[in-house]
Amino acid sequence: MRRFFLRLVNLFRGSQAERELAREIEAHLALLQEDFERGGMPPEEARLAAKRAYGGVEQTKEVHRDARSFVWIEQFFKDVRYGWVNLRRNPGFTLTAVIALALGIGVNATIFGIYNAVALKPLPIADPDNVVRIERWFASNSRGNNQYEFAYAEYQYLRDHSTALSGVMATRPQVQVLASMGEAETPEHLSGYAVSANYFSDLGVKPRLGRTFLSDEDRALGANPVVVLSHNFWERKFQGDSKSIGQSIKLNGLAYTIVGVAPQEFTGTDVFPLETDFWAPFSMIDQLDPTFGPASNPAWREQWRDSSSHPGIQLLARIKTGIPRAQAQAETDLLMRQRLSGYRESDRTTAVTLQKTAYFFYADDIRFHAAAAAVLMIVSLVLLVACANVANMLLARGVARQREIGVRMALGASRGRIIRQLLAESVLLSLLGGAAGVLLSAWAERFLWVSLSGVFQGLHFNLVEPDLNPDVHVFLYGLGLCLFTGLLFGLAPALQCTRVDLNAAIKEEGWTFGVRLGRSRLRGLLLGTQVTVSVLLLVFCIALTSSFVSSRAADPGFETRDTFLLMTGPSPKELQLRERLETLPELSGAAIGSLPLNGTSTAPMAAGKLNLRTEATLASDGYFETLGIRLLRGRGFTRQEADLKAPVAVISESTARHVWPGENPLGKHISLDLKFQNKFTDFEIVGVTSDARFADITEIDALHVYLPSAEIPKSGGLVVRVRADRGTALAAVRSVVQSVDPSLLPGLDMVSLEGFVAVQRGYFRVETAFAGALSLLALTLAGVGIYGVTAFLVSQRTREIGIRVALGATSRRVVRSVLIEGSRPVLIGMAIGFATAAGLNVVESASDPFPDPVVRSVFGDPSIYGGLTLMLAIAVIASIVPASRALRVDPMVALRYE
Amino acid sequence: MSSDDRMAVLQGTLDLIVLRTLENLGRQHAYAIATRLQQVSGDLLHLNQGTLYPALVRLEQQGRIKGTWGKTESNREAKFYSITKAGGKALAAETLRWRRMSGLVDKLLSEGA
Repeated sequence: MRRFFLRLVNLFRGSQAERELAREIEAHLALLQEDFERGGMPPEEARLAAKRAYGGVEQTKEVHRDARSFVWIEQFFKDVRYGWVNLRRNPGFTLTAVIALALGIGVNATIFGIYNAVALKPLPIADPDNVVRIERWFASNSRGNNQYEFAYAEYQYLRDHSTALSGVMATRPQVQVLASMGEAETPEHLSGYAVSANYFSDLGVKPRLGRTFLSDEDRALGANPVVVLSHNFWERKFQGDSKSIGQSIKLNGLAYTIVGVAPQEFTGTDVFPLETDFWAPFSMIDQLDPTFGPASNPAWREQWRDSSSHPGIQLLARIKTGIPRAQAQAETDLLMRQRLSGYRESDRTTAVTLQKTAYFFYADDIRFHAAAAAVLMIVSLVLLVACANVANMLLARGVARQREIGVRMALGASRGRIIRQLLAESVLLSLLGGAAGVLLSAWAERFLWVSLSGVFQGLHFNLVEPDLNPDVHVFLYGLGLCLFTGLLFGLAPALQCTRVDLNAAIKEEGWTFGVRLGRSRLRGLLLGTQVTVSVLLLVFCIALTSSFVSSRAADPGFETRDTFLLMTGPSPKELQLRERLETLPELSGAAIGSLPLNGTSTAPMAAGKLNLRTEATLASDGYFETLGIRLLRGRGFTRQEADLKAPVAVISESTARHVWPGENPLGKHISLDLKFQNKFTDFEIVGVTSDARFADITEIDALHVYLPSAEIPKSGGLVVRVRADRGTALAAVRSVVQSVDPSLLPGLDMVSLEGFVAVQRGYFRVETAFAGALSLLALTLAGVGIYGVTAFLVSQRTREIGIRVALGATSRRVVRSVLIEGSRPVLIGMAIGFATAAGLNVVESASDPFPDPVVRSVFGDPSIYGGLTLMLAIAVIASIVPASRALRVDPMVALRYE
Repeated sequence: MSSDDRMAVLQGTLDLIVLRTLENLGRQHAYAIATRLQQVSGDLLHLNQGTLYPALVRLEQQGRIKGTWGKTESNREAKFYSITKAGGKALAAETLRWRRMSGLVDKLLSEGA
């Protein structure tokens, strides 16, 4: 222990210990010499004899240092200092390498930063590790939001029986309300959440102002009209005035007292994080959400607290301290099974699990992690190019440093020692690059997020901005990445540079032909890797974006500008509403049906001799006219068919072509398994429509069936075609809704199909920009790498070229050989990249039942050949410029070069 | 003498030898210790005089010996080492251990013969 301490101390008083050691050795040598002199030797001879008897002075010192202190730490500091001096001595090299690494690490850290903010960061609540989201799993394996929906009765049961959970919190998905502050003001739409009274207290969220809910404020139905405001809304509406506590705000006509303001960082716990304005006790749900509960059951309002059907309540729970999550989960699962054992569920719950809470509800889903990993891998390719680049630069520099390294080795430095020193230098380099990269990523993350969330604003969705500030995860990730890349690009050059013939190195003859051969092979490999990876990235990015680029101006197949979705909650009076809407002069059409670009379901279909999966969407009479989808053959649905949910179908043109090529499909039959229960229902085809881009704006639906069937999962509702402008039409629609079903008013809104198209296009635009930036980055890095290395290699051959010219080679021959050698790694890299991309494409299209012609057209895309030509051109220029310079040099000068 | 007959110093025994020498001779500088070692071993030990230093540092850091600067008889400056109390104890313990060890090895070797 004492020794450990002394060694540690010696780390910091190295120079003093060093002086003392030198003094002691000198004394020792003097004594030895004296002895020899006494034996009769002449002084000079005695001195030498003493040295011989003593052994290597420097070796002794080294061993001494080893015993004296933690020599590796001392050396490490020395290495870092030395590396720093070296980097500063070559600012050009350092800057280039740091920029390359900053870009590579920056892109990587950007993606990781967003992943971290969305999936890894804990919610801003007390002790977030113990707060979980309760998730259910169904026999049908159905996945999505419905996994987070529970009945109020289930909530009560869990709350009252659990021993492992210290609190169970219930929230409803966001509700829209009409709010007004004073009499004069026009009402505005606000969104908020109904939550159980223990919501804030059990999450451990302290109010910024006022109080949160009292523990019994959610008991009596409709009795406690109080709200806690979100910080954002409070700032916007009340300018952060503390006197707002105690004031009242009218929501859907009922006055609520403002009791508190939530802290700024707390933005809610919804599975889909939307901006919110307020929270209210769960007992106010009837008043807040008039459409609450199933529209078909008017008795619902009296029963919902005891009902076991799912009104969609999300549950969070806090696990008691000291109880492991697995144990709490086992108990919760058991309780839910007990609760459900007597009930008949339409889709049986097979398990209940407790999930980690994070910004995004899929944070625990393996598919989400897989997607994140895939994107990380793609951006890592850019980093790989950057690493290959820097490694090549280090190799080139290693050649220039051959003499320095040779001298150090001759003076007794071991190879391991020098490798360590070189590695310290490259890690230092990667840390510099990493620091710049992480700074860069902080900016890029925000930029990427703003562009992505901006996309959704077209749909009147306001996503909560996640906390993108780098935290300890990002820091550790960046550090790990730096160390890894530092070793990755540093190791090969360090090994190469230290494999020197001492004699040759000191005499500056490191550049013998044999040695160079081995080295340029490694260089060629690195160069080829860069080119391969760049080609792969280019192909990938083009594949990702070309479908979008080519469909940018394409007709979606339906009318977007004047067609609107009427956003209402579910209403039992939908048909009545539609009838009244048809009479409005402001509208030219009204129908009930699915909405394009809004999620579709793909059902198994048996048609002709084929078994396929097809898109199946809902359509009523008047639907095709309202959406502007043209009928090519046959007819649309009649009112009677729509009302009776008749077994008739209209198919798209491409479906007809695919299933009955060259035949008339009218009158033929298809059968569909719409509920995925292996029960097929028969439909008769009555019409054929023009093709549309219903599922995805970038491609025409391969198979699409329109049905009036009730069995289709609903993704739409009332669709109207507007004759006048939106404002006038909305006012007219509002008056109709007012008279038919006023409970729909709070959420009433009209969103044009253009909005949905814009969202999809916007999303693809961001994706395209991102992919474009990535490939541009890879191309630039590869270009710099190709030029730097090729030019360096050729210039190193100045002497050889001189000899060749002196021996009578023509300049044409010389240039040709230089060109061939310079472009060989580039060409090989391209070939490998191309082959890999083609191979991946084959695998991809083999696994796809409808091979997308767009992917195949990647290889017909001009930009990929542009990229390839560019890389080749760079290699050619990089070979020719230094070669012609070498040719102009007088052979005699060239021979003395270096 | 062929180099095969010379013995490399067994790991860890150097500390023991140095301590013993200092106990016998009292305060000594490194050169004297080295000379003494050579005399005793009769050149049997293959030892550069410099090899002594790591052992000296180690022992000093462990508090078993203490070094002070002083003058030799020939009025030269040198660092003199002397054994400390802790060093004496360590020497006794190490000696015992060494005896046991060598006794054991001896026994094993003679058994085989």
